[in-house]
Amino acid sequence: MSGEAPRIEVEGLGVRYAEVAAVEGVGFAVARGELVTLLGPSGCGKTTTLRAIAGLEQPSAGNIRLAGRTVYSAAERRNVPAERRGVSMVFQSYAIWPHMTVFENVAYGLRVRRLAKAEIERSVGRALDLVQMQALAGRPASRLSGGQQQRVAVARAIAFEPEVLLFDEPLSNLDARLRAAMRLELRELQRRLGITALYVTHDQEEALAISDRVIVMNAGRIEQEGTPEEIYARPCSRFVADFVGAANLIPGRVRDIGHFEAAGGLLLPLPSSRPPRGDETTLALRTAYITLLADATQAPDTARGVIHRRMFHGDFIQYVVDWPAGQLIVRRPPTELFAEGAAVTIAFAPEHCVLL
Amino acid sequence: MTAPALLLCGCLVLYPVFFLLQESLNAGDPMQFPPLQYGLDNFRAIPDDARVIGNTALVALLATGMAIAFGFVLAWILTRTVIPGRRLLERLMELPYYMTPLVGALAWGVLAGPKTGFINQLWHALGGGGDLVNVYSPLGIAWVMALFEGTVAFVMIAAAMKSMDPSLEESSRVLGAGKLRTTLMVTLPLVAPGVLSAAVFVFAEMLGAFAAAFVLGIPGRFFVITTAIWEATLSYPPDYGRAAALGLSLFAVMLLTLSLARLIMRRGSFATISGKAFRPRAVSVGRLRWALLAICWAYVALAVILPLAALLLTSLQSFATVFLAQSRFTFDNYRAALQMGALGLAFTNSLILGLAVASIGALVTFVLVWIIYRSRAPGRGLLEYVVMFPQAVPRMVFGLGLLWAWVNIPLPIYGTLWLLGLAYLTVFLPLGLRTLAGVVLQVDRGLEECARVCGASWARQMRTVTLPLLRPGLVAAWVLVFIASVRELGVSIFLMGPNSKVIAPAIVNAWLSSSAGLSSAMALLQTGTVFAGLVLLLVLFRSLGRETA
Repeated sequence: MSGEAPRIEVEGLGVRYAEVAAVEGVGFAVARGELVTLLGPSGCGKTTTLRAIAGLEQPSAGNIRLAGRTVYSAAERRNVPAERRGVSMVFQSYAIWPHMTVFENVAYGLRVRRLAKAEIERSVGRALDLVQMQALAGRPASRLSGGQQQRVAVARAIAFEPEVLLFDEPLSNLDARLRAAMRLELRELQRRLGITALYVTHDQEEALAISDRVIVMNAGRIEQEGTPEEIYARPCSRFVADFVGAANLIPGRVRDIGHFEAAGGLLLPLPSSRPPRGDETTLALRTAYITLLADATQAPDTARGVIHRRMFHGDFIQYVVDWPAGQLIVRRPPTELFAEGAAVTIAFAPEHCVLL
Repeated sequence: MTAPALLLCGCLVLYPVFFLLQESLNAGDPMQFPPLQYGLDNFRAIPDDARVIGNTALVALLATGMAIAFGFVLAWILTRTVIPGRRLLERLMELPYYMTPLVGALAWGVLAGPKTGFINQLWHALGGGGDLVNVYSPLGIAWVMALFEGTVAFVMIAAAMKSMDPSLEESSRVLGAGKLRTTLMVTLPLVAPGVLSAAVFVFAEMLGAFAAAFVLGIPGRFFVITTAIWEATLSYPPDYGRAAALGLSLFAVMLLTLSLARLIMRRGSFATISGKAFRPRAVSVGRLRWALLAICWAYVALAVILPLAALLLTSLQSFATVFLAQSRFTFDNYRAALQMGALGLAFTNSLILGLAVASIGALVTFVLVWIIYRSRAPGRGLLEYVVMFPQAVPRMVFGLGLLWAWVNIPLPIYGTLWLLGLAYLTVFLPLGLRTLAGVVLQVDRGLEECARVCGASWARQMRTVTLPLLRPGLVAAWVLVFIASVRELGVSIFLMGPNSKVIAPAIVNAWLSSSAGLSSAMALLQTGTVFAGLVLLLVLFRSLGRETA
């Protein structure tokens, strides 16, 4: 960010439905070429925030600036209508117009901008090429599969080279395999064209995989903002630890600067890099950061446990391990097989213990 | 946007109701308007009409019972069993409704009237004594009402049966219950709320029904509330107060009954209505299917084929007889219907009104639907309520209110087509609104929003996205309002003037004052127009369907 104004800037945004605040005090910025994700459960206000930026929702407080231009300001009573904001959007339902052909759908934004016919044809061709739909340009849009509609929706959204591209859960209606493929394609496209994008999803895996930065929202507010790695490794609240990735939330109290005491008097190590405040009552431990060892060596920062249940998932094995503080969920690669009832040593690094 | 719409619709809808209320409280001279004296005299006098109220209840109960019986049997056959030609039959089931109870009553008067009715003519020829059937009786009136106004029972029960998840029955079978046990323990209890609410709904409709009781009841001086209202306004001196009080009471009872139907629907619908469309599992019934098929066709014969055949035969003869050897065929009746000054005019007027009301109605409906279902304007819920209001008022009663409202307004439109057009618009807006709303609610809001985000102005979005997507709904609303206008009776009978005759009341007058042949010819002309509208709708939808499919 070399002095240039961010492409999207949101400050103190509030949206109310009747008496209910759907979004409150939300603020963030998206720099040129960045892909930022709003992640949260349904009803957390992420889609409302996105729609407010598009101009489809009337906010009640705050400011929205696009490329330095104020498009909404509660104080100035300014609210630029959606069609004059220069943003583009991919809708969850795709919103492909069934009464037009694929070409007409993609050309819509260009025709609205009164471009020359040749120019329109060139731009539509290029956009359809990018999503590999060139062959179907003449087909009525009502005769497209879900995946094809998705591609047309993306082509339509990028055809008129918008300042900012908004994605409202664009992949949630696709089946799992297609979703994984489209995720990669969208990311490729966004990188290649250097598009500035704001992406809304409730799928934490998708958010982590696709984003430069993730903003976790809950109950109309921002819970945490950071790179996918930061959000995953150091969740700042119980909500984030629980919602993003899989974590064990171990109740207890801080014993001293280096230790957390869980149930059964079990002492867990704390990282020296982040000293505790002292009043934390939960320790989060990612299921993937725990190691299980067959030999009963008494190394530091380990505990003893017994495999209670083993569930083979294919890409990983999920163990439920009985240990002094109750039960612990552990994910290991499918190569590390332990029998149910086997005694194991549980090991983990102090820096993976996050106090909440 | 909402405020002017609300004001306009409020005037159109509530103004007549206000007049009705005022007149019902008139305790002085019934001809004096506005009333000089207010009081509850008219309401206190209602018990004097105990006989009329009893008649109304009797006819409505009989008709409801029959309509539900027909509806249940036909709905079960057509949704749950495998019989040949099911789709065609399903279409045909709707026809009696479009034929209208007025035409149905005329036809059954011709078929089953005493002495000269076709059925009795045959009975006498076979050596029978007396009359075999007499449709000019409470049972006859109820029969005609059940046939021609009970179609809604079939539609509602069939919908309940269709929306049932077949896995509910399948799980019963898997757990070891036989077909009969499954039907008794699972199917019937699940369908029961739908049937019950259909029964209550149909009962409310029957309370407000007019045409059958009018055509078949007046000759024998058998009155129900709606015909009593009509009589009270025509007698001299007209007893407007009594008519208004009766009308308002009928309205109140209907409103209560309809709320009851809605309550039953909401309370009792278990998990049957999940918003998902199921393809109900049709049961193979073996040989029995021919019997079931016969039942369906018997209904079509009684409600469509026989009535139309009887009207056709009557209209082509100078003297109505079922024995073709004795009959003298003639086109005189049609010539008379189309040429005889006032009558030909009535037909033309109805067509003009139908075209105009349908076109303006479709436009107004579009604006209203857009305000109510698409905008975020405050007061849109209230607007919907106001626009839908006329639906809850018996047509006759609303006609009465409209009569006073427009007689007492210093606008020289009473007795003109303008007034009829305005009245039609008021009473048919709910029909148009419901039809179009069904389509609008299916159109994803995102389709419109996307146009805006793509940079289109509001006007361009309307032109390129909204209107094209709503076209099927607009066409349907147009045709349905056209059909409703052409067959309208309850409001027209009060508002028609000597220079603004329309077809349905003209048929009634022809029936009362001249030959059966003439009224049959007119009834067939009306029915033909309505069916032409239906065919048009079907064809348009076929072509639209092909375009977007």
